[in-house]
Amino acid sequence: MNRRSLVSFGVLVLGVAVLLTATIAAQVPAPLAKPKAAVKAAPPPTSKPYTPPKTPDGQPDLQGFWTNSTYVPLERPQGVTKEFYTPPEAEAAMKAAAAREAEQTEPGTTADVHYDFSQFGLDRSQSTIAASLRTSLIVDPPDGKMPPVNAKGQKRAGERAAARKAAGGQYDSVQNMPIGSRCIIMGGAGPPMMNAGYNANYQIVQSPGYVMILTEMIHDVRIIPLDNRPQAAQELRQWVGLSRGRWEGNTLVVETTNFNGKNAFRGASENIKVTERFTRISDDMIDYKFTVEDPETWDRTWTAEAPLAKTDGPIFEFACHETNYGISNILAGARAEEKQKAEQAKKGSN
Amino acid sequence: MRAKLVLVVACAGLLLASGQVRAHHAFAAEFDVNKPLTLKGSLIKWEMVNPHSWFHVAVKEPDGKVTEWLIEGGSPNQLIRMGVTKNTVPIGTELTIEGYRAKDGGLKAVGRNFVLPDGSRLFLGGSAPGGTPGDKK
Repeated sequence: MNRRSLVSFGVLVLGVAVLLTATIAAQVPAPLAKPKAAVKAAPPPTSKPYTPPKTPDGQPDLQGFWTNSTYVPLERPQGVTKEFYTPPEAEAAMKAAAAREAEQTEPGTTADVHYDFSQFGLDRSQSTIAASLRTSLIVDPPDGKMPPVNAKGQKRAGERAAARKAAGGQYDSVQNMPIGSRCIIMGGAGPPMMNAGYNANYQIVQSPGYVMILTEMIHDVRIIPLDNRPQAAQELRQWVGLSRGRWEGNTLVVETTNFNGKNAFRGASENIKVTERFTRISDDMIDYKFTVEDPETWDRTWTAEAPLAKTDGPIFEFACHETNYGISNILAGARAEEKQKAEQAKKGSN
Repeated sequence: MRAKLVLVVACAGLLLASGQVRAHHAFAAEFDVNKPLTLKGSLIKWEMVNPHSWFHVAVKEPDGKVTEWLIEGGSPNQLIRMGVTKNTVPIGTELTIEGYRAKDGGLKAVGRNFVLPDGSRLFLGGSAPGGTPGDKK
């Protein structure tokens, strides 16, 4: 997106925030949360290319607090064929998404069995949004969709499903529960770094020879060396893989392999390679692109663009599952259901 | 009114279960949709922990007996960012909580809605009872 469209969109987004406030407040009994009017998307209009500040050791400075919170989906929605919305179309798409988020459940359905996001400030309209006119985060393939999973990928997906089935029910044991529910890792850490839905915040710190990325949701840290060291042996595998970084002009390029395969990104294999590109394009924005390469899953690479917008710090602690109520409640709930069903079956057989 | 808004959104063909996608875990596995409840009580403690905060509430039963309920709410991080602290909601605050009871039948529930005695909601996206974002009582 060029700078002119970014500037226009920044104005648009602020307008949407005001409009949303009025629209939503008119339809709910209690005044809904005021959107935080902190949508920072537009660099200042200028004809000169942006020159990022430098750290004391001379690196382009990416440091600070950033968010990739967005209403733009990874894949282009059905029926949309173009790469960019017009500002009015983007306004409509954002309004629709924010309205779904503000109130999308029907009382008395399982979808309603949840706390209200808006009461806790967790709907995206209450935090900084990395706004974009894009219709999808995926920029390649040009249709904005992930490439089809190849035969090897389908076979592995089948094997993973069979292994889950053999292990028993999802709530039979802690080990069978999704790793996100178990607070091991969630999608925000990546790589690639995907919008966590809420608390989608990052802190970047640079020191000579290293870049550190702290992910708020859920407390993961990546330490990326910049000293051209070779990648570690294939046997050494991590939840977030092992990253190696380098500067190409003002762009930080980070290549990551050596994933442990337990946190498969979109069904990828443990041999996935993710190449990320961070370019600061204004005081308030980092252009973040990532390319995914995994011949064991897709016959071609694919690339997405998920900008990072400057937000307020600090990052607050996310000691996930402190006190551990959730896991024990879910397991206790499953046991209670089993007991109830067994009693019903017993009554039925009498 | 809430049902009316849901209807409007549904008629527009926009109703998606995005809230479920964003949930940290399956709340319907923890709480029972067939056990909706409304509790009235006073706050004993608010545990501002992640991924979900927990409200300890003293509820007076019809027979006069007081029981302690644990009510699950959202991650506190964004509220903290907006200026809410553990002292923002005073101990003893009277709350009416609409939600769903735990499947195991214990004194636990998810708080679908937290309402103050004057009918306003506990948090209005960061504003504290009788206060404003950034008001650190």
